[in-house]
Amino acid sequence: MKRRDLLRAAVAGVVADPFARAGRVHSLGSRRASWLLVPMDDRQSDHLKAYGLTFRVLERGSRAEWFLNYRAGSFLLPSDSATQRDATLTGVTVEPIDDGRVAEIRAEIAQANMDAVPLEKAPKVAVYAPPNAAPWDDAVTMALQYAGVSFEKIWDAEVVGDGLRNYDWLHLHHEDFTGQYSKFYLTYAGSPWLQEMVDRNQRMSRQLGFPSVPAQKKAVARRIGAFVEGGGFLFAMCTATETLDLALASENADIAASFADGSPMDPDASAKMRWERALAFQGARLEQSPSLASYSDIDGHQVNTPDRRQPLGAFTLFNFSAKIDPVATMLVQNHRQVIPDFYGLTTSFMKSALRPGVTVLADEPGAPWAKYIHGERGQGTWTFLGGHDPEDPQHQIGDAPTDLSTHPHSPGYRLILNNVLFPAAKKKELKT
Amino acid sequence: MRSAALRALLMLLAAASPLAGQFRSGSDAGRALELERRGDYAGAAQLWRTVLAQHPDDLPALLGLERALTPQNRLGEMIPLVQAAARAAPSAGVWGIAIRVWTAASSPDSARAAVERWSAVEPTSDAPFQEWGLAAMSQRDRATARAAYELGRARLGRANALAAELGQIAALDADYPLAAREWTLALEATPGYRPSAMAVLGQIAPADRPALLEALRVHGSPQAERIAAGLMARWGDPLGAVRRLLASAGARGPDRGGLLQELFDDLRGTATVDLNHARGLLLEAIAEREQGARRSQRRLQAAQAYADAGDQAAARRMLGVLAQDPDATPSLAAGATSTLVTVLVDEGKLEEADRRFLELRGALNPEESQRMSLRLASGWVRAGRLGRADTLIAADSSVEALAVRGRIQLYRGDLAGAAVLLRNAGPFTGDRLAATGRVGILGLLQVLEADSSPELGSALFKLERRDSAGAVKALEALAAGTEPERGGSELMLLAGRLRSGLGESSEAERLFRAVMGSPAPASAAAAAFSLGEMQLRDGKRPEAIATLEQLLLAHPTSAVIPQARRLLDVARGAVPPV
Repeated sequence: MKRRDLLRAAVAGVVADPFARAGRVHSLGSRRASWLLVPMDDRQSDHLKAYGLTFRVLERGSRAEWFLNYRAGSFLLPSDSATQRDATLTGVTVEPIDDGRVAEIRAEIAQANMDAVPLEKAPKVAVYAPPNAAPWDDAVTMALQYAGVSFEKIWDAEVVGDGLRNYDWLHLHHEDFTGQYSKFYLTYAGSPWLQEMVDRNQRMSRQLGFPSVPAQKKAVARRIGAFVEGGGFLFAMCTATETLDLALASENADIAASFADGSPMDPDASAKMRWERALAFQGARLEQSPSLASYSDIDGHQVNTPDRRQPLGAFTLFNFSAKIDPVATMLVQNHRQVIPDFYGLTTSFMKSALRPGVTVLADEPGAPWAKYIHGERGQGTWTFLGGHDPEDPQHQIGDAPTDLSTHPHSPGYRLILNNVLFPAAKKKELKT
Repeated sequence: MRSAALRALLMLLAAASPLAGQFRSGSDAGRALELERRGDYAGAAQLWRTVLAQHPDDLPALLGLERALTPQNRLGEMIPLVQAAARAAPSAGVWGIAIRVWTAASSPDSARAAVERWSAVEPTSDAPFQEWGLAAMSQRDRATARAAYELGRARLGRANALAAELGQIAALDADYPLAAREWTLALEATPGYRPSAMAVLGQIAPADRPALLEALRVHGSPQAERIAAGLMARWGDPLGAVRRLLASAGARGPDRGGLLQELFDDLRGTATVDLNHARGLLLEAIAEREQGARRSQRRLQAAQAYADAGDQAAARRMLGVLAQDPDATPSLAAGATSTLVTVLVDEGKLEEADRRFLELRGALNPEESQRMSLRLASGWVRAGRLGRADTLIAADSSVEALAVRGRIQLYRGDLAGAAVLLRNAGPFTGDRLAATGRVGILGLLQVLEADSSPELGSALFKLERRDSAGAVKALEALAAGTEPERGGSELMLLAGRLRSGLGESSEAERLFRAVMGSPAPASAAAAAFSLGEMQLRDGKRPEAIATLEQLLLAHPTSAVIPQARRLLDVARGAVPPV
């Protein structure tokens, strides 16, 4: 399913019943049929696990529906024994309802800024991470593990080897696609973890036959760009957002410091960028200093640059028309509209650096930056969320990992999980 | 640092200037400030230019334009405006802007010329060189910043001029010998720089810390050793920090008291054994520098810190010194004896502790007397002397005393009396462990529905006296003779938990499973949880998951469900391991 198909069909205004064809299997169309409504408002006891519950329904071959803007983005699941058991084990609040109540809800949805989006197939999820990456240093991995969404880890060899074709959804976190080890090379010189990171990346670039890590990461970025172009769903956070675009746009410029590839960064790199190749950004000025953990002026917060660092505020999710723009609506489903901001190596995106056509999903009112953005490329889509960990706003290297069982209602983590279910949305059929 | 403060001050002055009044009236300057606030820097810059067209030497407008152009990377556009201002009304503020603008425009010669002209007007001021260095640092040009500070030091003719700034750059360069030397110079001249030194040097990567500590050792001055000790304390080695400072020459020098006191002030945080020990060592050393009653007070504090660290020998040694101290006041002597009683109880020397306490009792305030008697009573309970403990606190009606007396009644087998006392003690008395244990015992007494059980009292008394194996046997025997619904299951569950704690997992599992199959649902759920917990501890992850899932499905309303769900997350790897 391609995002544009979904969008086009949604604009056509068709409200399809996803269970119409599945009724024979589940007897869901009969009067005796019963359902489980998973409320996503403040009555939900574990918002994050609710996504996992829905994902596993899809994995078992059943279907589900996402009621956009209805009780903060609730789910409708079949009331089979497996789902009931799963809800009991995970502690997700579910409300058994009958066909009559479902009809009432549909009527309510039809008359308001709401929509019912069918979810029909669990996406095959890949997380881009080094093989030995700790599972607790990546907000998406933590969210997937906590919610119980199955995923596979892939890294450079798989990506370069065209392994992305096996997946529907790809997540990138704090990988540095400029190949400069998050520019920690000088600040943390001698740290064992950095040395290990450098060794691992250099081994991989040699193994894949590239002259340097930056060259190899550019090749990886190109594969990821092609994955999106071909219809994949990309979700990136933290510094992967900014560096992926920098790598894509720097085909003709050396943007890596000498510690990474043996040659200094091109002083005219900013002018040589081919921004038309990037997904989200344009016209950025690249950071020339090798010792500063900043890549460009895309990030509004510049957390590691004392003179430029901006304080954290709160960002507000935009409201979209559920029936006209269901994609954006899906991505902002939440029980909170205003969410405390959180730092990352890339925390936010200067609006002045966004390419035309990029959809801002959330920003900080009055500030020149956006927090959460979305766009499309070819047949696929990408979504970028700035920051490292929604529940650890000042995240530092070496901090204890976030335990999501103490944040089961995290609105920031909900944004991540919205992205996981978004590719499961079924293309709506046109009337004609 | 200072130049940043200067800049902040200038901006503050700008806001407080007569223009501020105009801002409120909607002038160009006021609108420019509003646009800045909204992030419209291009619009703000245009308005600031309008103001400067009329008043080229308007410092607030120059600063406003600088603020608006900086985020747009267009600071170089200010050059003609700054030149005009410098011609019209040269001042420190204008020279500061000029330095920043020319540095941003990669014109180091012009920046230096501005520094020279400013310095010529203020020949003893650090500010021109600080401003230049800071401007270069904001351009990530560390080499120029270093050159600016070195030029300043040469011009000012002071060996320690701009030492903090040079120390900061040396730390960024990982040149630790130089960083050690510069920061030491900075602190010797201005002790108020110590927090800055700690903040800058405290951030270096763990792998580089030994090199820095060694560089400070080589430097060898009292301030260098003080910095080293402060860093070690900050990096989690308070005992090493104190030992290093005490061994240094500085600790024997004229400023010894000040250095030791500063480090003592740094030793904050959760009181660990090491931290208490470090405090004891430091207080003892500080006491040597003090006189009269103040010295006695420090010795007493040292003894208490040693006692809290579990170093009874050191505590006794300090108390011995204090006993010979002619300056010790009666209240200090009482405090010393009180500490000694604590030490004696912990050492199990209860007769001597009791005798000392009785001698001292009259000199103690009521709270201290109560605290000591409770501690002593608990010691007597552990020693098996229930009567002695009871007598000691018979007149005490505090909730803490009720809790101790409840335990005494329980061990005597008076379950009804124990339940009343423990209930009256409430759920919050004592530390968390004691409070949890008390609630657990009350739960057990509630289901037993018996007023008296010498067998149970005896079993629990064995537990109090750390005879877990004996307690387990007694509890199992008692459970065998008690109906499951009337407390038999709870007794068996307690025995199972004790067996689990003793590492006897197969025996514990047998007991847990027996309870899980019993007709007491609350006990059954708790037993399933305990079994899952034990399986996980023993590395039987799949078994633990199965047990916990069974628990969640079979007892969805049990009180242990939240814990069980959390444990299931741990077993599945859904949350980080504890």
